Amino acid sequence: MAEDNTTALNEPYRPYGADIKETRPYSPCRAACPAHTDVQAYVGLIAQGKYTEAFEVITSVNPIASVCSMICHHPCEQACRRCGVDEPLAVRHLKRFAIERSQDYRRAKRKLTKKTRGKSIGVIGSGPSGLTAANDLASLGYDVTIYERHPVLGGMLASAIPPYRLPREMLNEDIDDVISKGINVKTGFEIGRDRKLEDLMKDHDGIVIAIGLSQSRSLNIPGVEGDGVLLAIPFLEDVAFDRKPDLGKKVLVIGGGNVAMDVARTARRMGVKDVSMVCLESAEEMPAWKWEIDEAIEEGVTIDNRWGPKAVKRENGKVQGLEVVKVNSVFDDKGRFNPSFDDKTTKIIEADTIIITIGQMSNMSFLKDGPVKLDERGLIQWDRDTHMSSASNVFVAGEVVTGPGSAIAAVASGHRAAMALHLYLQGEEIKGNLPEHEKDKIDQLPGKVVDLLDREQRQEIKHLPPEVRCDTFTHFEIGYDEAEALKEAGRCRGCGGGAVVDPNRCMACLTCLRVCPYGAPKVFAVSEIRPEYCQACGLCAPECPGQAISMVSYDVNEIRSSMPDIIGKRDPKRSDPVIAAFLCTHHTGVGGFNVPGNIRTIPVHCISRVDVLDVLSAFSNGADGVAVIRCADGSCKYKGVAKRVSSRIGRARELLSMLGIENERTEMLTASSTNGNRYSSVCTEFSEKIKELGLRSS
Amino acid sequence: MIVGSQKPIDEIWDMVKEFKRVIVFGCNTCVAICHAGGSKEAETIASMLKMRSSNEGVDMDVSSTSVMRHCEPEYFDEVIDELRSYDLVLSTACGVGVNFLSERIGNIPVYPGINTSFFGAVPEAGVFEELCAGCGDCILHMTGGICPVARCSKTLMNGPCGGTNEGKCEIGKDVDCAWYLIVQRMKDLGTIEKLSEVIPPRSWSTSRDGGPRRVSVEHIREYEESAEQKTEAGGSK
Ligand SMILES: Cc1cc2nc3c(=O)[nH]c(=O)nc-3n(C[C@H](O)[C@H](O)[C@H](O)COP(=O)(O)OP(=O)(O)OC[C@H]3O[C@@H](n4cnc5c(N)ncnc54)[C@H](O)[C@@H]3O)c2cc1C
Ligand code: SF4
Ligand code: SF4
Ligand code: SF4
Repeated sequence: MAEDNTTALNEPYRPYGADIKETRPYSPCRAACPAHTDVQAYVGLIAQGKYTEAFEVITSVNPIASVCSMICHHPCEQACRRCGVDEPLAVRHLKRFAIERSQDYRRAKRKLTKKTRGKSIGVIGSGPSGLTAANDLASLGYDVTIYERHPVLGGMLASAIPPYRLPREMLNEDIDDVISKGINVKTGFEIGRDRKLEDLMKDHDGIVIAIGLSQSRSLNIPGVEGDGVLLAIPFLEDVAFDRKPDLGKKVLVIGGGNVAMDVARTARRMGVKDVSMVCLESAEEMPAWKWEIDEAIEEGVTIDNRWGPKAVKRENGKVQGLEVVKVNSVFDDKGRFNPSFDDKTTKIIEADTIIITIGQMSNMSFLKDGPVKLDERGLIQWDRDTHMSSASNVFVAGEVVTGPGSAIAAVASGHRAAMALHLYLQGEEIKGNLPEHEKDKIDQLPGKVVDLLDREQRQEIKHLPPEVRCDTFTHFEIGYDEAEALKEAGRCRGCGGGAVVDPNRCMACLTCLRVCPYGAPKVFAVSEIRPEYCQACGLCAPECPGQAISMVSYDVNEIRSSMPDIIGKRDPKRSDPVIAAFLCTHHTGVGGFNVPGNIRTIPVHCISRVDVLDVLSAFSNGADGVAVIRCADGSCKYKGVAKRVSSRIGRARELLSMLGIENERTEMLTASSTNGNRYSSVCTEFSEKIKELGLRSS
Repeated sequence: MIVGSQKPIDEIWDMVKEFKRVIVFGCNTCVAICHAGGSKEAETIASMLKMRSSNEGVDMDVSSTSVMRHCEPEYFDEVIDELRSYDLVLSTACGVGVNFLSERIGNIPVYPGINTSFFGAVPEAGVFEELCAGCGDCILHMTGGICPVARCSKTLMNGPCGGTNEGKCEIGKDVDCAWYLIVQRMKDLGTIEKLSEVIPPRSWSTSRDGGPRRVSVEHIREYEESAEQKTEAGGSK
């Protein structure tokens, strides 16, 4: 795929309809993504085999796309409208597939950006928020330097998230994309220790503080001080930087969140067979994602729910275990975290090492008594609307100010901070001009529409078996192959990419209302196509007598304008007929599809798009025969297409016969989507028939 | 609404073949709704003409455009200059549109691209039925809302002829007898005795026999005239 796109390397790719989409409610997947990645667009591109285009859509808003393809908690999937039908789209896995297919392309694309602004920016911290801010500001033409106290870039991604979930090669691809813009990097450089913030503010025109929450909280219980009790983040850092501590035979992890899961599963991979966890919450209340808990249990980690830590038991200083007390409840009636205990019920859980994973905080010591003010709780004072700290040219991004969240939320925060700083340096108003958090979105699928949709199983991703994966830090998920990815992408309903009516052309004729299989149009003074119903099939657009309907996600006139190029020059001495074959992009775009050269394939979103005029145009551009190839019943993702299109073909034949073009030259044929070869053989058989009929002379 | 139907391409070709630059001009109201002459059909006819001219080896430049309605002059404003740059306008509006544009365009012929059939309703998608003849003197209150002028083959005014046959008209098995429908309907409404009133011979002067018809809605006209005066008085014209 890479070579096809080399010419486009310098122009950022924009999916069709990108501008219109901004003015309309978002698909729920996109609205749910903190960075508002256009999921509908890129999944649609994957379904058509356009992998590098999909990559462009993803990376246009997410500089750590590879990372997210591995570890994102994918709020897009939780919001997916397919949840109402069967299961959500496997968006994260599709993202991974598109990125894996674009590796050569992305490497070839890296290049320096010009430093046109004559201003320099210092970014403190290189986690998702710092990297994003640096990336955006470099793209805008600033001279950017990143300061990172660790020896490598990436923040928690590099120093805490274990490599069995996030392979470092993936992280490094993202980092290389960003750094290749010409960003200066100072690693092993801690602000406060190696240079004071006040001095850094003199070195640069603007500063972004993106230091995350890089310290673990500890417990204030007897026996906690001393060997054998570790804190989560330093422990994970030690593992990440190959300073693996000795854990003994039994490890107990305190905590029930995602970080606790990572700690427990990391301990398993360090050869500890007996890893248990203890947390205040019941199994249902645990804050960790359900899939993280399931995977930990698969790996042999045991969980003791509803116990609170009371004291670390030691003998001669060596840890023996943890005394715990029974929890009555974790939350009070108002739903606030306020645990109560049954002091009479206690027990001791044996352990050689205890790892405390109960939350994180920032190290703000370098800010004490400086120009960036802290509030009474010791947190940075900032304005959410402008990302500005109390010092006017110091901006803040990521978890240091937002509190714990996800990598992609930190990315979104990085975008906002970068834009804020840019506006500030331009002397422009910041408030109201930053990327929005909340976007209007399309409602869930109406029940009537759900009833019309086929159930299609989600393509599950394979995991290395637990016995194998616990012995190694290698990544345990096995990505999709092409067939799986195409099948999964084909499940997407294209929400928000459907029909829109131009009110200046609509004469309220009701045709669309009568044609639509999903009941999407409502006609008042003009037609209004309701996006929550519309499935973007495209059946209505060619039927509209006023040509008032267009599709957000694809160009309904593209076929006719590209026809001369596709059909090309017709050789008067040709021996094989020139055949124009309309095929669904969902089958022609992909690898392994081959037809003889005399068959000119015209990819269409669905043959529902093929109109009388398109057939006429194929003949007027010189085709000897026109085949419209439909996908067999059950494999087309839309309803009612075949019947409509065959009546259009009837009409086209009627008109063509007035011009002396025989009916046999226009045909609707059927192939099955599960068999790419069938598509090409259907085309070849048709070509043979036309050959017998003879070539057109005029 | 007005219902039209497309002409065979041979007939259109005979009309247009002498012209070098032809524009097919669609109307996006009635005739669009009946899929005869809206912007899409105008483009289809243009495409057919291009193919035909290249088959015949005739050098002809054909394009198409459309506006919302051809029966009110404001709708032409945007395109009239463009239309004037052609040798022929093939209008796919109803006959009203062809007449109306002919009067306004100047020395460029406007030919009909479709046949104007009648005015009717759309009982189902793709079906159009004539229900009124526009006779100018409505009597539907006396005939149960069913028009004998438009729907009786002989335009009889006082009951069916001897050709009525089990609800059908003698001219064809698929044609309903309008008087049969009228009687059934008036029975259902309980107004059948009204039929004993004889409908006097009609004055056809309000119909086609009185020459071209014109309706003038005075209160609207008055408004228009005063608006004109106002603008004149304001000197903005
Ligand atoms: C174990 C673990 C697992 C996680 N798993 C997931 C997951 O699966 N999915 C997900 O979406 N999110 C996950 N997260 C959360 C995610 O990592 C964070 O949301 C994200 O890293 C926050 O980004 P940030 O830019 O705000 O800060 P960070 O990533 O914390 O980066 C801050 C950087 O600043 C540096 N720094 C701090 N002080 C200074 C200083 N004075 N001078 C120079 N440099 C400094 C730090 O060394 C660090 O590199 C996980 C977090 C942890 C800890
Ligand atoms: S079906 Fe596709 S577009 Fe719709 S919410 Fe799901 S992923 Fe997004
Ligand atoms: S088919 Fe076209 S003109 Fe008719 S109601 Fe729908 S949008 Fe309007
Ligand atoms: S016909 Fe298809 S594209 Fe048109 S409104 Fe209905 S679902 Fe949407």
